[in-house]
This record gives sequence, structure tokens and C-alpha cells, in this order.
Amino acid sequence: MSDDPIREIAESAARAAALAAAMEPAAAARRLGEDGLLGVLAPEAVGGLGLPLAAAAAVVAATESALVPLPVGEAMLAARLLAGPAPEVASAIVAGEAIVAVATAGTLTLAGGTVTGTVGRAQAGLAARWLVAPATGGGAALLDLSAPGVAVEEEKGLDLERPPARVTATGAAAIALPADDAWAAFQADALLLRAAGALGAAEHCLGRAIDHLSNRRQFGKALVGFQGLRFELARQKLVLEGARAALGHALSVAGQDPRAEGIARLVARSACGDAAPAIIEAAIQLHGGMGFTWDLGLHRQLRRARDAALALDPVAARAALAGRLEQAWAA
Amino acid sequence: MSAVLAGAAAPSIGAGAYRVADAEALRTRHRAWLAANLPACWRSDNPDYQGPSLDEGQAWEAELHRQGLWGVAWPKAYGGHGLTLREHLVANQEIGRLPMPESFNSIGKELAGPIILAIATEEQKKRYIPAILEMREIWCQGFSEPDSGSDLASLRTRAVKDGAAWRVTGQKIWTSGAHRAQRCLLLARTGTMESRHRGLSLFALKLDQPGVTVKPIKQMDGNAEFNEVFFDNALVEPEDALGEQEKGWAAAVRVLEVERGTNRMYRAWRLEEELKHLLTVCRSDPALARVINNPAYVQRIAQVQVDIEIHKRMVESVVDDLVAGASIGGRGSLIKQHWSEYHQRQAALSVEILDQASYPPSPAVARAQQRFRQVYLRARAETIYAGTTQIQLGIIADRILKLPREA
Ligand SMILES: Cc1cc2nc3c(=O)[nH]c(=O)nc-3n(C[C@H](O)[C@H](O)[C@H](O)COP(=O)(O)OP(=O)(O)OC[C@H]3O[C@@H](n4cnc5c(N)ncnc54)[C@H](O)[C@@H]3O)c2cc1C
Repeated sequence: MSDDPIREIAESAARAAALAAAMEPAAAARRLGEDGLLGVLAPEAVGGLGLPLAAAAAVVAATESALVPLPVGEAMLAARLLAGPAPEVASAIVAGEAIVAVATAGTLTLAGGTVTGTVGRAQAGLAARWLVAPATGGGAALLDLSAPGVAVEEEKGLDLERPPARVTATGAAAIALPADDAWAAFQADALLLRAAGALGAAEHCLGRAIDHLSNRRQFGKALVGFQGLRFELARQKLVLEGARAALGHALSVAGQDPRAEGIARLVARSACGDAAPAIIEAAIQLHGGMGFTWDLGLHRQLRRARDAALALDPVAARAALAGRLEQAWAA
Repeated sequence: MSAVLAGAAAPSIGAGAYRVADAEALRTRHRAWLAANLPACWRSDNPDYQGPSLDEGQAWEAELHRQGLWGVAWPKAYGGHGLTLREHLVANQEIGRLPMPESFNSIGKELAGPIILAIATEEQKKRYIPAILEMREIWCQGFSEPDSGSDLASLRTRAVKDGAAWRVTGQKIWTSGAHRAQRCLLLARTGTMESRHRGLSLFALKLDQPGVTVKPIKQMDGNAEFNEVFFDNALVEPEDALGEQEKGWAAAVRVLEVERGTNRMYRAWRLEEELKHLLTVCRSDPALARVINNPAYVQRIAQVQVDIEIHKRMVESVVDDLVAGASIGGRGSLIKQHWSEYHQRQAALSVEILDQASYPPSPAVARAQQRFRQVYLRARAETIYAGTTQIQLGIIADRILKLPREA
């Protein structure tokens, strides 16, 4: 590793993401696994690099811009989470040999090593071998989606490359993951990585709008020369940089200062959850009729970023922040 | 023959002053007819939603016309009902109140129709207008080109004289509905490029001919409702040139004013129906019932209603002014900009609220989630078509504020 491992990871992720975006989920996972990108957070014992969360944020910024058909942030976090309780599963995820999905809706009931119930909104769940799902008692369960007693079906959602899946388990074998700090960190970090992915995609879309307006001529000149559009682009840049500042701070204090961390995460959720879809919507608008086409493709980033914004829930983040202002001021 | 005007129970409206009592009788009648006749599976709030086919839609819309819900303000001589825009507004309010399918021929009914009535010959009106109302001819609007969108006056599709007829060569793009249309309201260049807007003329081109190729373009919502249209020496019969030659721009501007001002007059009431659907579904789900009582959402929901109320008042006052003989002018841009912006906020809010439903969602909630995801994606086009946001703001600055260009 060079003296700037995060920059190096970002460059390697951009290269791999460009290739993986055109692949089926299984091939895409192997491609990212070969470059070590799925093991950015996992410990060396399972083949990972053990890097801080900011490195994983650089990876998802690249994979979400390029539209890799996998929940890459969740895979990196699951490999870290499972390194202790299920090291073989963690190694397979790091190597890109097995896809993991994470259910974000519903709860499974754990009883004596088996689970029952319905959970869903698991991105890329149809392509996945493993599922991490919330379980009764506040912890989670790891289940093998190919095992008896498990049914997986596609759900309707916004994201087209990673269509969400619903999983129904009936007495299926599962590994219980306790309601400990590791699971809490998984959930909180998953939100930060969604913010990082959505913001990376937004930056990509803003760049495409700038390119388009620089080349598109109307009224006898390049559109980017019209002040109304220059102000619009500048405004989107302002929104992007504000959210980036909030996210960067949350990533840099992640895991270091538990007190500041809470506030920083709430600020990042609020800023990125609002900024990312708004910037992409503006980029679509600035493409005119072309923006509304399927083939231009900015809708794919929009669908993902809108989904991410729903998960980030800026309204809830701001409500929580409002209740903790004294703590913010004391930092 | 208009059923709404036939029979003893029909309200007496027609020539003469508009009376409120009549409007209310008409409203009652429309409401009852629609309630009894709109197929349940076409309602976009129905969990078993299944929209109409083209044939079904054509039959339905022709029936809406017979029932007095379309062609309301058009002269009886051409198959209209000979009433005023006020009765047109009443019909639209009732159409808006229901989650009904959009028209397959709104361009014929709402853009081509009014412009034909304004500038076409008597013979043309008799030919085109009944065919629109009876859904025998669906129209599309061929204005935008690959290199001429916001800068419409730079368009290049050329029409040249061929005896008494015209021959058209060039390309249009983003032409909504061209794949099912019989006629294109075509804006083409008959003068030089340098003459810009002064060298344009309007035609009613027949699409079913060898010189025309229509290629659908897939949209970001997954449908393919707009098209590329290629013209290679396509024929326009002498009787299909509209209005005066080289006066096409003035007519096109009028088309666009109508498009922004009175087109889909039911919209405010339809967006209110969307809000009602959202809240009805939310009340049926415990998690969503909590969300819509959260003060952060209460404010945003109420703001949507504020915007809907403003929208309604803007539409009603345009109707008042038009009935009094005024023209719309740039005001359509105020209305269009207002609704296109708040509807995008409304759509995003609907998706955001519905995402917080109990899991797994009930069929009614799942249906609403699906409807509003589509509404959200489609609403992205609303600040692009009929002139983008930036163009509407320019019109408000130029034509309403009348700001000087050089101080
Ligand atoms: C769903 C849909 C249906 C449509 N249906 C039809 C149809 O049936 N018939 C038809 O003729 N057309 C149709 N259109 C085309 C529509 O009218 C054009 O897309 C629109 O006028 C913009 O033109 P453009 O796409 O070339 O964008 P451009 O003009 O290239 O604009 C690109 C961006 O630059 C901005 N911009 C342009 N000029 C300026 C300026 N001077 N100052 C500041 N900003 C500026 C625009 O607002 C936009 O954001 C449809 C479009 C859509 C999306």
C-alpha cells in the first residue's frame, strides 16, 4: 500500500467497478473480490485488508456511480461482522465467491437455531447465497438462502439492477448474531456507506450534466454559457460539497469518538439524504428531453439514490439531532 | 348527439348566461355517470389495476364525448357540445376527482383541436374536429427536433411546395404518442434558416404513408410513449396546410400557451385525488398512520394542499378571463411552473411516506407504493416538456414582468 491507501483503493475501485457494472451479479462479485475490494473492512484472518470505513466509502462511491449490480457496502460490512461468528462465510464474501444480501424490513423469529418469518427489501436477494436479517431480541440472523425452509421472491422497488427480494423462512437453519456493538456498528455503518454511495453517484451525474451543457448548443451558443445554468450548476456543487463535508467528518470520526460520532452521523444522514437525489434530479433536468430517456441512464443512479435517501431518513435524523443539540454544542 | 343535453332531466345550459345552478346539476350528472361507468380495474388506486388497451381507451373516450365530458366548449357544428369553458371546467373537475386513465388523444383534444378551431378553414374544421372527438384520429405534436428543443425557432425540418401539395424532409424527436397517432401537428420550415421564427408553417400531416418512419424511445419510467419521427419526402396534401403560410410561429406560440394554460384542466383535481389516495392508504396501515401524524410530515402534507388550492384558483381565474374574452398570454407559464414544481415535491413526499409502511405491505399499500413510484419517475418530465423550467422562467421575465433585455 502507498502512503495514501484510500486514494489507491478509490482508483482500483473505479477500474473494477467499470468492468463489474456490465456483469451478472456473480461475475461482478468475483471481479471485485479478485481486487480485494470486498475485503476492505474485514480482518486479515478472512482475507481482508482491515482498513477504516473511509476506504469502504471510496469503494461504494465508485460502485454506485458505475451501477455495479451488488450491495457492495453491505458485503464489506457483512464480511467484517461475520469474521468472528462465521469465518468461512466471511472468507467467501471477501473472495467474491458468495453474494450476501441484507434485509432491511421485517424481523425473523429465532428459536433454537432456526428462524421463521418474512423479511424483505434485501437488495440483490435473488442473486445472493447468504442473508443477514434483523431478528427478534434486537440482533440478527445469518441464513443460507439455498437451505430447506427458505423461499425467495422478487419485490417491486425503484432499483432495477439490484431488485429487492422478500425472504420467507419456515424453521430454516440460521446462525444467531447477538445484539452487540458489532451488530450496532454494522447497521450504523451501513447507513454511512449508503450515503457515500449515493453522494458518489450524485457527483458523477453532476459531472455528466456539466459535460452535456458544455457540448449542447442552443440559441447559437453552448448552453453552459447561459448564466441561469451556470448558477444552477454552481448551486448543485454547493449542495454536493456541503454534504461531502458532513460525510467526510462522519467517516473520519467513525469508531473513534462514540460521542461525536452520533451527531456526525445524524448530520451526514440529513445532508446526504437530501443532497444526493436532488443533485441527480437536477442533472436529469439539465439534459432536457434526453434526461427522461431510459438510455441516458441517469434514472438508474436516481433510483438508487432515492432508495438510499429513504434508508437515510433525513426527517428522523433531524428529529434525533434536535433532541441532542446540547451534546452537539458540548463537542 | 349529446346525452347530457338530451331528455327532460338534462340541465338547461347552452346559449345564454351561465348559471350556477346549472353547473351544479351538470356536475351531479357527470359525477353519477362516471361513478357508474368507470371500470374498476382502470382506477389507479385499485390493487388489481390493469389499464385500458388502446382500443378500449378509444371506445371509452368516444363515450366520454357522447356523455358531454369532452368537446364541451367546441361548436356544435363540429360535433362539440357548444357550451363554454366553464362547463369544460366542471367536466374536468369531475374527471380529475377520479383516478382515471389519461387520454390517448390529449394532443388532439387539447392542442390540435383549439388551434384548428382558431386558424383552420371551415372545411378543415369539419374534417378534423369530429374525428378527434370520435377518437377516429389521434394526433401528435411534431415541434421539437434533435438540435432544436428550447430553441424551437431554429428548427430545420423543411416543407417545400410540390404543386399545390407539400413535401416534408427532416426529423422530429420526443414526439409523444406518434406511434399510435394518425396525424401530426407539424411545425416545419418553409422559409430560410435565417428567417428563424418568421419562416415556419403549420401542417396536419398524415402519418400513415411511406415517407414517415416512427421509432419509439424508451423513457426512464420504462414506457415508450415518445418517439423519433423521420420524414423523407413525406406528403402533405394541399388541404392539410394549416393557417397562413409562414405564420406558423404565431400559431405555435398559441399552441404552447394553450398547452401550458388550459391543457389537462383537471390536473389540480387529479393531484388532489393523488393526495387523497395517499392519505386514505396511510390511514389503513398503523405504521403509516403514525407517519402522517408526525409534525414534520403534517406540515409537508398541508403544504401540498396549499399548492393544490393555489393551482385550482389559478385555473379558475384563467377560465373566468377566457370566458370574458381575454387571451392567456404568458400566464400559462405561471400555472405550468407552479404545478410542475409542487407535483415533483408531492410525488417525492408520497414515495417517502409510503416507504415507511408496515412490512410486508397490504395489497392496498403495495398498490399505492407502485403507483407513486411511477408518478415520481414520470414527474421528472413535467419540468421538461411543454417548455422546461428555465424556459418558463424566461417567459415570466420577458412576457409577464416585461423586463428590459438591455438596461
Ligand atoms: C415526456 C416528454 C414528452 C415530450 N413530448 C413532446 C411532444 O409531444 N412534441 C414535441 O414537440 N416535444 C415534446 N417534448 C420535448 C420538449 O418540449 C423538449 O424536451 C424541451 O423543449 C427541451 O428541449 P431539449 O430537450 O432540446 O433540451 P435543451 O433545450 O437542450 O435544454 C437542456 C437544458 O438546458 C436548459 N436551457 C435551455 N436553454 C436555456 C437558456 N436559454 N437559459 C437557461 N437554461 C436553458 C433547459 O431548461 C434544459 O434544462 C417532450 C419532452 C418530454 C420529456
